[in-house]
Amino acid sequence: MPSLRELQQSIQAYVLARGPGAQTEVLASPSVSAETRLEIYANAYRVRLQEALAGDFPALWAMVGAERFAHLAAAYTDAYPSGHFSIRYFGQHLHAFLASSEDFRNEPWVSELAAFEWRLGEAFDAAHAPPLTAESLAQIAPAAWANIRLALHPSVRRLDLGWNVTEIWQAADRHETPGTPLPYPHPLAWLIWRQELKTFFRSLERKEAWALDAVLNGTRFSELCEGLCRWLPEHEVAQRAAGFLRRWINDRLVTAIDAGPG
Amino acid sequence: MFPISEKRFPALGFGLGLRKEHYEAVLAGQPALGWFEIVSENYMVAGGKPLDYLERIRADYPLVMHGVSLSIGGTDPLDVGYLKQLKTLADRIEPAWISDHLCWTGVKPVNLHDLMPLPYTAEALHHVAGRVRQVQEYLGRRILLENVSSYLDYRASEMPEWEFLRALAEESDCLLLLDINNVYVSACNHAFDPYTYIEHLPLTRVQQFHLAGHRDYGAYRIDTHDEPIIDPVWDLYGRAITLFGKVSTMIERDDNIPPFEDLLAELAQAERIATQTLPPHDSSEFVKKSTALGI
Repeated sequence: MPSLRELQQSIQAYVLARGPGAQTEVLASPSVSAETRLEIYANAYRVRLQEALAGDFPALWAMVGAERFAHLAAAYTDAYPSGHFSIRYFGQHLHAFLASSEDFRNEPWVSELAAFEWRLGEAFDAAHAPPLTAESLAQIAPAAWANIRLALHPSVRRLDLGWNVTEIWQAADRHETPGTPLPYPHPLAWLIWRQELKTFFRSLERKEAWALDAVLNGTRFSELCEGLCRWLPEHEVAQRAAGFLRRWINDRLVTAIDAGPG
Repeated sequence: MFPISEKRFPALGFGLGLRKEHYEAVLAGQPALGWFEIVSENYMVAGGKPLDYLERIRADYPLVMHGVSLSIGGTDPLDVGYLKQLKTLADRIEPAWISDHLCWTGVKPVNLHDLMPLPYTAEALHHVAGRVRQVQEYLGRRILLENVSSYLDYRASEMPEWEFLRALAEESDCLLLLDINNVYVSACNHAFDPYTYIEHLPLTRVQQFHLAGHRDYGAYRIDTHDEPIIDPVWDLYGRAITLFGKVSTMIERDDNIPPFEDLLAELAQAERIATQTLPPHDSSEFVKKSTALGI
């Protein structure tokens, strides 16, 4: 008799890829063969993971259609079997998988839509953090500004998109006729975040995207201003940086200001 | 490890599985229910809507946590990260009790996200019992293990499922979540008598009942949780209530989810059966925890 572990390995090999050995470990019932009994589990495995992906990528499902989605879900399930205890994280590699998939080589928007939907999901259940108000800025001493670092809301996600996938997503979200995927003339920067329980996204002009990425990387305010000099004359930089900051405060993106020298 | 005089937690009456489709109905209607059961993993997230709704509903109702990822029958070491998150959630919502399934869910590095049945062997029994004790030690409380619906059985099995479950409960000092529908589904799939099954379970260890619907595919049945409960399952529930008394009862519905009122009406059927079955004193005490279910 196989050990418990050997038995589980053999059943799992069947479920994942109809591997050999499991049939002899399973009894037939009066009406169902051992193979059919194993097939129940093998089929359920694929259906369950496909349903999880369809739930996490509803716009992608709507755009590619049920049949093509089932095909891509099966290929993804083989390429990236779930390892996390929660099925919540199963789809985390889908956009990378689609980006390298031969089947979608001529449709780069498919991978971008997956990336966008996944990040929306991440923002949806990210940690809560109370946002700072404009009054908090007023309390910073003028001399301290150079050294401050900002902490942004845990839901903040950034991505650059070459296609109009946010419009496609919106049409799908409203159950409207799917839009036509169109490339932008240049990649566009996007910000996703959550205010209280509601998720938002908006595009960013290049300077704001650079500044926000710098903040996410822990850059001090002085370095942020220096960096903006590549686009702006020096006398405009501080005002523009302060303008970004006001907007981020209004968007409730900023959750802490670290004024320490470190 | 735990006091032996009364192993079970106090009964909560009649409840339902909490599903996101019903959050608003629950908050707006404040239905007269004894409790809700949550799927633990759905709330093992950092924040946002799931936890917000959960805390608002917890303010008005007792909750119990029902997990699908413990893999108590698995042969990899217990997932300490999972246990830690389970405990964090338990500390946050203070559930009346915590349950999972008698199953394994994968061999590393893969999680099949399914409740895979175990072979009922002495090896598996001692293996699982040791892990249950570890989990109970970590959580500082007895856990409940649920019998799963199964669609295969193993050549290696040495005893019937009920004997395994009974021995496991005794050896590990855990409680049982008896899923009446799963007993019925497995009885059909493996040609055993569902009444024999429940009659062999230890009386003092059954903490909770699950009820649910399933699909009949002719040669086998699948535990789909997407249909109303069928009459033979209600009959088996009646027998279970006779045997085990006022055990907390709830309905699981995970797909084809109907309006909340429909589930309340289905739950009222469970309450009617309990009222008709239990002695008058037990019945009134048990049912009053969740009165006004619409009957």
